[in-house]
Amino acid sequence: MAEAGDLMSREALRSLVGTAVAIAHHGELIQGVFKDDGGRLHRGLVTLPIVGLRSEASFARSDDNAVVVRPDHKVKASAAARLTLDFLNVTGGGELTLQSSIPVGHGYGSSTADVVASIRAVAAAVDVQLRPSSIGRLAVAAERASDAIAFDEHAVLFAQREGTVIENFGGSLPPLLLVGFKANGGVTVDTLQLPPARYDSAEIQEFGVLRALVARAVRLQDPYLLGRAASASALISQRHLPKQGFGEIAEIARRAGACGVQVAHSGSLFGLIFDLFASNLKRRAALVAQQMRRAGFKDVEVHLVNAEGWTW
Amino acid sequence: MVTLDVNYFRDLETPRLARLAPNLVAAAFPLMKLMPARYILDRAASDGELKAGSHIVETTSGTFGMAVALLAAARDYRLTLVTASTLIDAKYKARLERIGATVIALDDPRGDGNQPGRLEHLQEILAKEPDGFWTRQYDSPGNWLAYARLAELFIRAMGKVDCLVGCVGTGGSLCGTASFLRTVFPHLTVFAVDTHRSILFGQPVGKRMLRGLGNSVLPKNVRHELVDEIHWVGAYPAYMTAHRLLREHGLFMGPTSGAAALVAHWVATTLPDAQVAVIMPDEGHRHAETVYNDDWLAALPGWPCEELLEPRTLTTIAPAAETQWTRFLWLRRSLGEVLKMQAAGEGPPVVGAPENL
Repeated sequence: MAEAGDLMSREALRSLVGTAVAIAHHGELIQGVFKDDGGRLHRGLVTLPIVGLRSEASFARSDDNAVVVRPDHKVKASAAARLTLDFLNVTGGGELTLQSSIPVGHGYGSSTADVVASIRAVAAAVDVQLRPSSIGRLAVAAERASDAIAFDEHAVLFAQREGTVIENFGGSLPPLLLVGFKANGGVTVDTLQLPPARYDSAEIQEFGVLRALVARAVRLQDPYLLGRAASASALISQRHLPKQGFGEIAEIARRAGACGVQVAHSGSLFGLIFDLFASNLKRRAALVAQQMRRAGFKDVEVHLVNAEGWTW
Repeated sequence: MVTLDVNYFRDLETPRLARLAPNLVAAAFPLMKLMPARYILDRAASDGELKAGSHIVETTSGTFGMAVALLAAARDYRLTLVTASTLIDAKYKARLERIGATVIALDDPRGDGNQPGRLEHLQEILAKEPDGFWTRQYDSPGNWLAYARLAELFIRAMGKVDCLVGCVGTGGSLCGTASFLRTVFPHLTVFAVDTHRSILFGQPVGKRMLRGLGNSVLPKNVRHELVDEIHWVGAYPAYMTAHRLLREHGLFMGPTSGAAALVAHWVATTLPDAQVAVIMPDEGHRHAETVYNDDWLAALPGWPCEELLEPRTLTTIAPAAETQWTRFLWLRRSLGEVLKMQAAGEGPPVVGAPENL
């Protein structure tokens, strides 16, 4: 990470305060292992971003070498700020303040959002705009495994343990409505305590098919294909981190005409994916939300993806 | 040489995707069998089953042998292919030998390919070779798993796929592609293409004129439960459709591709709202002096025959002449189940898969 090594001196900008935000996600559309161009396998995922929940960071630079973070338990965000200063070849430290509306431990990516917001805030304090790929690499360096939220709503297949892009799908996800809720009674999951899933040959081959579906879905803005990919990935996830009520949810999704079922592969979140431009959508989504609540699922919420001002 | 390997052979195995009609896409392979051959060898090498300089053996007269031969030559493995004298011509044998393969052609008095004899001979070689590796294209799961790549290519080119048409010989390409497509498109209708007197879908064994599909033994990789319809295409309509592919689409393919195209065009016409994918396994070069040679064709009894626009639907499975094209509604049943119903004189239900779409 030495690309920025010969940046000019930033003494004149020393007093700047940088602020930035990063959005949450609703788990992943697909997650598994994927081949790179050389045929090597990498763990990777396609994040499902939701703009409604976010983390805000502000970073005030100081001459003192220390990075002080508030609240003080956000040590990964603090580490990310330090890595970013080093990456930008900036001396000194600063005070990092975080404010987040993202619930912890369900697969919303609260930790990565803090980390990404912090990296962006530090960069802003130095008046630098970082590329998403650099932010992604710094995020992985700060927290070992990260999601692709540094890319916001731009769809990429991201190697979450390496911080690299396996495939850039070249556009944003199609406009979606998501009816989200929590399985397993809303009990939280500690992401880093989970052992990485071990996939068999058929699953590994199937992930290539799901990746092809996402590529096509992004290229032609096709929510149906995206839903097919998400459902298949959720089904594979069910063999590795089972969630209660999966069969029931799949049936409700089918009857409601949803494009598919999506999960947080290392969390408790479920989402039913709908085409934002489907007919009668508001009525259908409200009905599904009601069915979910009746079936006992927690925290049923509606999220919008790439809705461009469309309101629920 | 070895460092280039992965990308190089992946490019060679990649088919051209040609749209033959608004709702019909063909995967036209130069040499389809490179796909399973590379996958099987890669997996065996990473599992440690295949070591540097190992001796690879396989019973094949066809394109799988050529694919393994190309890979074995580039990767420095020894290779022995066991085939039957009726199935291999001198030129193809010479091509295989030029790239280092040992080709053993056994006698074939019954004219059915003598697969049992070939397997026996292969076992004898393996018994003598501690470093022997049998690619097992008939039974190795690698054969069907490799075709996830073809499913990917179809999806990137077509999006939703409603119907899949392909030939069955080992079952790898059709059953592999079908099973991966069906995990994401459960409604996928699968049309298997076989030829008269191949035993794969319940016909009695006999002399087959059309080579490169069908079989006289039943490989494990044929999974009947994936198949909605079985079509038996004779040699004549397969040859004629191969000619048509060249004339109308500029595709110079082997006769099995002709058989698949015949069925695929019919499916695409019968179901205009369905997106149809068809697998075309190899090119016509090997058949330049036969299928693409007018003198050779003129010597065939009854050539040319009448062009067929649709198949004859059977309720009882039976062989037909090489000029014929027949069809039977398999309906995702096992072979045992279909044979039991045939023995009891029960035909399939009247309503078949396409009519349900």
